[in-house]
Amino acid sequence: MRDFTVLKPSSAREASRLLAEHGDGARLMAGGTALILALRQRLVTPGHLVYLGGVPAMNAVTYDAKTGLRIGALARHIDVATNAAVKTHYPMLASMAAQVANPQVRNQGTLGGNLCYADPASDPPTCLMALGARVLATSNAGEREIALDAFFTDYYQTALRPEEVLTEIRIPPLGDATGAYARFRRTEAEHRPMLTLGIVARRDGNMCRSARIVIGASTATPVRASGVEQLLEGKPVTRALLDQAAALVRSQTEVLSDFRGSADYRREIAGVVLRRTAASLFGVELN
Amino acid sequence: MKPSTIGASVPQIRAREKVLGAAQYVGDMKVAGMLHGKVLRSPYPHARIVHVDTSRARALRGVKVVVTGADVPKRLWGPIHKEHHILAVDKVRFAGEEVAAVAAIDEATALDALELIRIEYEPLPAVLHPDEALKPGAPQVHDGHSNLAREIRINRGDVDAAFKSAAAIHEATYDMSYQYHGYMEPMGTLVVPDPSGRLTIYAPTQSVFFTRQFTAEALNVSSSELRVIQTEIGGAFGGKLTEDANTPIAAFLARKAGKPVRLVNNRLEDFLAARSSIPTRVWLKMGLAKDGRIVAKDSVIVADNGAYSGLAPEMVLVTAFRTDSLHRLENVRSHARLVFTNNLPSGTFRSFGTQQMAFPLDSHLTVLADMIGVDPVEVQLRNALRTGDTSVHGWRLGSCGLAECVERAASGVGWHEKRGGSPGASGTRRRGVGIGTGIHVTANRQLGNWDGSTVVVKVNEDGRVVLMTGESDLGQGSNTVLAQICAAELGVPLEHITVAQPDTDTSPFCLGTFASRVTILAGNAVIKAAREAKDKLLAMAAEKLEVAASDLVVEDGRIHVKGVEGHGMTVAEAARMHIFRRSGEGILVRATYDAPTEMADKQTFLGNVAPAYSFAALAAQVEVDTETGQVKIVDCFVADDCGKALNPLAVEGQINGAVLQGIGWALYENFEIEEGRLLNGNFADYHMPTAEASPVLRHAIVETIDPNGPFGAKGASETALVPVAGAIANAVADAIGARIISLPITPEKVLAALRAKSKGGRHA
Repeated sequence: MRDFTVLKPSSAREASRLLAEHGDGARLMAGGTALILALRQRLVTPGHLVYLGGVPAMNAVTYDAKTGLRIGALARHIDVATNAAVKTHYPMLASMAAQVANPQVRNQGTLGGNLCYADPASDPPTCLMALGARVLATSNAGEREIALDAFFTDYYQTALRPEEVLTEIRIPPLGDATGAYARFRRTEAEHRPMLTLGIVARRDGNMCRSARIVIGASTATPVRASGVEQLLEGKPVTRALLDQAAALVRSQTEVLSDFRGSADYRREIAGVVLRRTAASLFGVELN
Repeated sequence: MKPSTIGASVPQIRAREKVLGAAQYVGDMKVAGMLHGKVLRSPYPHARIVHVDTSRARALRGVKVVVTGADVPKRLWGPIHKEHHILAVDKVRFAGEEVAAVAAIDEATALDALELIRIEYEPLPAVLHPDEALKPGAPQVHDGHSNLAREIRINRGDVDAAFKSAAAIHEATYDMSYQYHGYMEPMGTLVVPDPSGRLTIYAPTQSVFFTRQFTAEALNVSSSELRVIQTEIGGAFGGKLTEDANTPIAAFLARKAGKPVRLVNNRLEDFLAARSSIPTRVWLKMGLAKDGRIVAKDSVIVADNGAYSGLAPEMVLVTAFRTDSLHRLENVRSHARLVFTNNLPSGTFRSFGTQQMAFPLDSHLTVLADMIGVDPVEVQLRNALRTGDTSVHGWRLGSCGLAECVERAASGVGWHEKRGGSPGASGTRRRGVGIGTGIHVTANRQLGNWDGSTVVVKVNEDGRVVLMTGESDLGQGSNTVLAQICAAELGVPLEHITVAQPDTDTSPFCLGTFASRVTILAGNAVIKAAREAKDKLLAMAAEKLEVAASDLVVEDGRIHVKGVEGHGMTVAEAARMHIFRRSGEGILVRATYDAPTEMADKQTFLGNVAPAYSFAALAAQVEVDTETGQVKIVDCFVADDCGKALNPLAVEGQINGAVLQGIGWALYENFEIEEGRLLNGNFADYHMPTAEASPVLRHAIVETIDPNGPFGAKGASETALVPVAGAIANAVADAIGARIISLPITPEKVLAALRAKSKGGRHA
């Protein structure tokens, strides 16, 4: 690790000003779980660290039946996992947060930091995108909302401008929809998911009225499985339909291929995970 | 009176300071004026070093020494073959080889200096597979030397004729990958020069005397110019046996700087520098008679040694013949080749090459058992050697609990109810059981024609005892066990024994810790020394108390007349009296134990190389998800014949650790290599079993009381790794009706095997 200066802004706007002032030589730090590793390996060598830990109330989690859930960017995964409102109104989000990485990361890492890092092999992006989440980007010039669908642009790349600070995650009310999230680890010895899948659907019995399906971890950024969404919409979800959906997701998903999973295996698993997750959501017996 | 702790589960004598974080490892050590070393490594698997420019690194403020291959002694060093320089000279032979080293005032400066060193390489054609390396005209890894690092042929009985009598014959080729030791503490060395230039070396080495010998060779100095002191070891598993260059580089930097230098690997450096276990391909053909007897075994072994041989030439012999001493065999043939390539050097790892044949052997025996319609457990039992047998290679088994281990392991998982595959937790999951067996030497007369150990027992004037040995405690608990033996023999409390850190200036010469040799060799030496020390104490007390020494006993630090508790004196009083009444001669007893074994014949490899042999069997039940290919171990029972568990707590720790390491090799661990470069040299991408991935490990300790063992004990740290991979592969095959013959057993391979099976194939 090289020496750097730590700056402690007391507001998001001040953080944005510091980022603008120091340009490429500055890095924003929230929980630091990813950044510290990169610093230690000299993968990044900033002259200034803009540390958000001193910004008050940026970890609040609030729920309103009309506007939905708002999660301060500094809320840690454990805060999300244990929040009563999250558990009541967005159980899929609570269960996802309870499974992120490992206990050390959950107790230190933040939801906002996770999204900004945009590591494909992670849980929150897929789950939050399935929930239709948007993020609030704050800068000295003001604020703007970005839909997560447009937020992730590539591996470790986001639509944030250099001086923007992600301050809040906003999730609309689920209404009568229900959701499910699944993470697939290739083996039990691995921490990171090889494939993630989130489904949020409105249904009447086993009839799918609408579905929002997102696949991640095996893709550079989380992607909507729109072909499958269209296939399911307006139909009773049956074993046969899920087999069709699995075939579709296998053929339509552009997956990565590396030593953590070959393209063939990732496609195969996308089909299996989709079928199993949708079956549990729609109450379809697979066995 | 406190009972002896022999056979008692006493915590390790250093456990408390370790769990409290108080134990000092080499990475914690600092001395005045200490510099920090860092090493620059080759990015190429094979390249000529064309030009080196270190001028900018030397000019950097805070940099004290920059050295390259041009600076190091011309003398070559190595544990068996002399083939290394301290830093690469003229060419590099693997991606990761050390080409330059820096000592600077702090680690950040040393790292900055590395970035300023310019090395121009001319890449050479690299041989990255043993098959390529063995082709005529292949590039030579070591100029003027064939790529064959060792070739072994063993032939007993008449294999070809015996196959004609077989009721079933099976042949297959198995592939096994590297396995990294994965200890918590990466290798490191602190070297402190004194004003005369003599170096004191602090390192977590498995053998202070090997480290002294090989480092002296590398520096081209006499051994006594070095003093090596073993530091607390955070795990070793064969990885800290002076095959790698960490200590020689640190010593060379300190000599150049004339100042203390500490060189500690980071995790990636440790992956590159440590000698992970040998990737091996085994073609195996075996035949079974109708009654389940093995009639013949024929094997061809090709082992990838990477660029430098280390102790691998001895390991490939182990692969070629050790498991033959599990069974009653008459006809065996083995052809083994250890091959130089431009891959990472491979070498010593727990179980020392035994596992590379056990996985094929156990897989084969289950296949063959099914072919003749006899239960695989029954086939193991019918072939198992027994106490008193001599194996086909001349190994005399003073104790052998293999058959009992097989029975205990099988009944432990409910073998007979579960064998044959059964439904799992859901319709797409299948369960199956498998069995594997293991053998290990307890000591081994292999590296030279002396296989013993010398210890010194010193009784201080307060009655406390210092036990001096050169054998290293790697964390497995040998110091605790030696202290237990010493306390039991002397009749003093365990807390009164201190085991001194191995130090080449003060410890008696010892070979070090490998081949599960310490408990049996040093343990027997401790018994001898402690008895002699006790005799001296009793003679002293007899003189003072005016009774016959034979009427005296020592219990709990007190000497008294048998049956008369009040009439006596303390050990402290006797020890002090010994100094003053014997002209200053304190009680200081040296004793040596040399195992009653023989070197194997150099041509035939016949010979009883070990004073005792340990055995194990493991039965596993797995559940396979047939849609994802994932394998989960749902039950696992290992039975381990360690002769006598001197400390069941320590034995249990070793058994569990060995099984977990075996599970890692079988299911998870793999080197991802691209063009000779390691891609996953970190714990995020190299997957050892986590707590979550570990099944509940159940075990039985089988005590066969070996006639040569101290209190009957044999080695307990390596055997339980050996049966794991075969048992798991057999369990997977039982579950899904398809067999995986390459490690690790990944979900991809399982899915491929299921697909091949549905198309009529048998192997993936």
